[in-house]
Amino acid sequence: MISTGQELQFPVSPSKTKVRLLNLEALYKFFKSIKLAVVLILTIAILSIVSTLIPQGKDTAFYFHTYGAFWAQVLLRLRFTDYFRSLLFLAPVSLFFVNLSVCSIDRLINRERRKARRRHGPDLIHIGLLLLIIGAIFSVFTRREGMVYMGEGDEIRLPGEYTLRLLDYQYEEYENGRPKDWISTVEVSRDGEVLIASFSIEVNKPLKIGGINVYQTSFAREDRATLRDAEGTSSPIASGEGFEWEGAVVIFQGIEGTIAVFEKWENHTRTEAYRVGIGETIGEYTLEELGSRDVTGLQAVKDPGFIPVVIALILVATGLSLTMIQKRKDKDI
Amino acid sequence: MIATIAFGLLILAAGIQIAFLLFRERKIDGFSHYIHLAAAALLLAVTIDRSIRIRFVAVTNTFESLVFFTAVIALVLFIYRLRAKDKTIPFITFGGTIVAVALLAVASSPIAPKDILPPIPALQSSWLVLHVTLSFIGESFFVVAFVCAIYYLASKDEERKKNLDRLTYTTIAIGYPIFTAGALIFGAVWAQNAWGSYWSWDPKETWALITWLVYTAYLHTRFVKRFRGKVSAVLSIVGFVFTMFTFFGVNYLLAGLHSYG
Repeated sequence: MISTGQELQFPVSPSKTKVRLLNLEALYKFFKSIKLAVVLILTIAILSIVSTLIPQGKDTAFYFHTYGAFWAQVLLRLRFTDYFRSLLFLAPVSLFFVNLSVCSIDRLINRERRKARRRHGPDLIHIGLLLLIIGAIFSVFTRREGMVYMGEGDEIRLPGEYTLRLLDYQYEEYENGRPKDWISTVEVSRDGEVLIASFSIEVNKPLKIGGINVYQTSFAREDRATLRDAEGTSSPIASGEGFEWEGAVVIFQGIEGTIAVFEKWENHTRTEAYRVGIGETIGEYTLEELGSRDVTGLQAVKDPGFIPVVIALILVATGLSLTMIQKRKDKDI
Repeated sequence: MIATIAFGLLILAAGIQIAFLLFRERKIDGFSHYIHLAAAALLLAVTIDRSIRIRFVAVTNTFESLVFFTAVIALVLFIYRLRAKDKTIPFITFGGTIVAVALLAVASSPIAPKDILPPIPALQSSWLVLHVTLSFIGESFFVVAFVCAIYYLASKDEERKKNLDRLTYTTIAIGYPIFTAGALIFGAVWAQNAWGSYWSWDPKETWALITWLVYTAYLHTRFVKRFRGKVSAVLSIVGFVFTMFTFFGVNYLLAGLHSYG
């Protein structure tokens, strides 16, 4: 944002629209100011500092307990407790966006007019930053993510009719017991046709398919109970899953020794707990078998905003390099 | 052990520099910068040795980061001393040496465990290496800018102030693009590759952004007459304080994703 000291002249004759235009001109002048940019940048910085000192996204009780009634109310009213989604953050950023847009346009127009030194570096950085803000907003509204735990042989469906099947899951350790790697080997197919026969998803090595990235994020040990219904059909359920019974939901909690623990939930309230051994019944089911297995935690993310963000980052990087080269040439550095 | 020798060398360099500043004001010492070079070489040797042992670039914990950071600072000070013939340079190299000594003191303290451990899965990425090394290289120039700005605020001589203001600006103009690339661009790419989210507003990310905003503001104060000079110098100091807080303060005072350093 190099100030040129020259005002933009509006190409209109001074007639009846003069008053309105003058205001527009004043507004333009206000928004092209570098001083405004500095003030906005520092305002965003200071508010962000305050936000890092206040734990974000806790429940109301936490703030009342920690800061007392008065300050808790102040923080909650201002939404300092959810700062990056509050007006406190978004308003100065919006003003900055307008400021930066006007500055960028002003620089381009003035350069054309004055045939000034061609310094495209800062322009690229500024346009890159504008695109970055747009990309980030796009991400906020379009990013989707989902987390799933899978055991060997399990299948999940991804958007776009892709099917992911876990072929193998491995956990590797260093000699001292620190984690070395988690590797989930998967097969990807679509409409019964295998697209990728085998891909090893690792931390820092996501699977990329049809605009979706699948990340290795965690692992767990999962308890499983096999239940047989009245007709003799067996089906396994994992801890956390359940079935309906007399208008309530029964959830399989896990295994304690050789006993399966179930809980009955009605209207979001736990009403009863059951301890069931093999061969015993719960509801219409008979507990047939208990076991546990390793499961891998995979996270699928679709973020269309990342593409503009990458382009923005490349623009910024190019702009920075160009600026540095130009400055060295001018012996500014 | 090698790092300890480097530590000793830097203290020796600081001693020589302060002696010259106090007793031989008009003369610039002709050799302490070679001690910097030796210290940088030793610290880089530590980095290389550890890298071979863990089979990864050794910048994966606080100790390793500090060793690398100090090595680059010593190297930058050496280069500045070689290139600049200016009278302000003895004070700047002395100030820079003090920062380097302080960082190595932290590295030698118990808050930076020295175990040689291969990286956990999240850190096994070339993006991480670019992220960390470029951040520290950029920040090494901020060290010089920080010392210049302090000297600027303390000076009364107009000619000297002009030189210091220029030196503050040029060091930030070099450090800023490198820091932006390392801390923000490669940081975002790494985060996207490791967790599927290029930005999470975790405290360390937020503080890196705050630091970047301060230096961005600094660069723009140069175009506003009223801000030039004093406000610029203050921002250069604040920027460095925030750089250090992002590195240490966030780890020990605020919780977040960057728990490994």
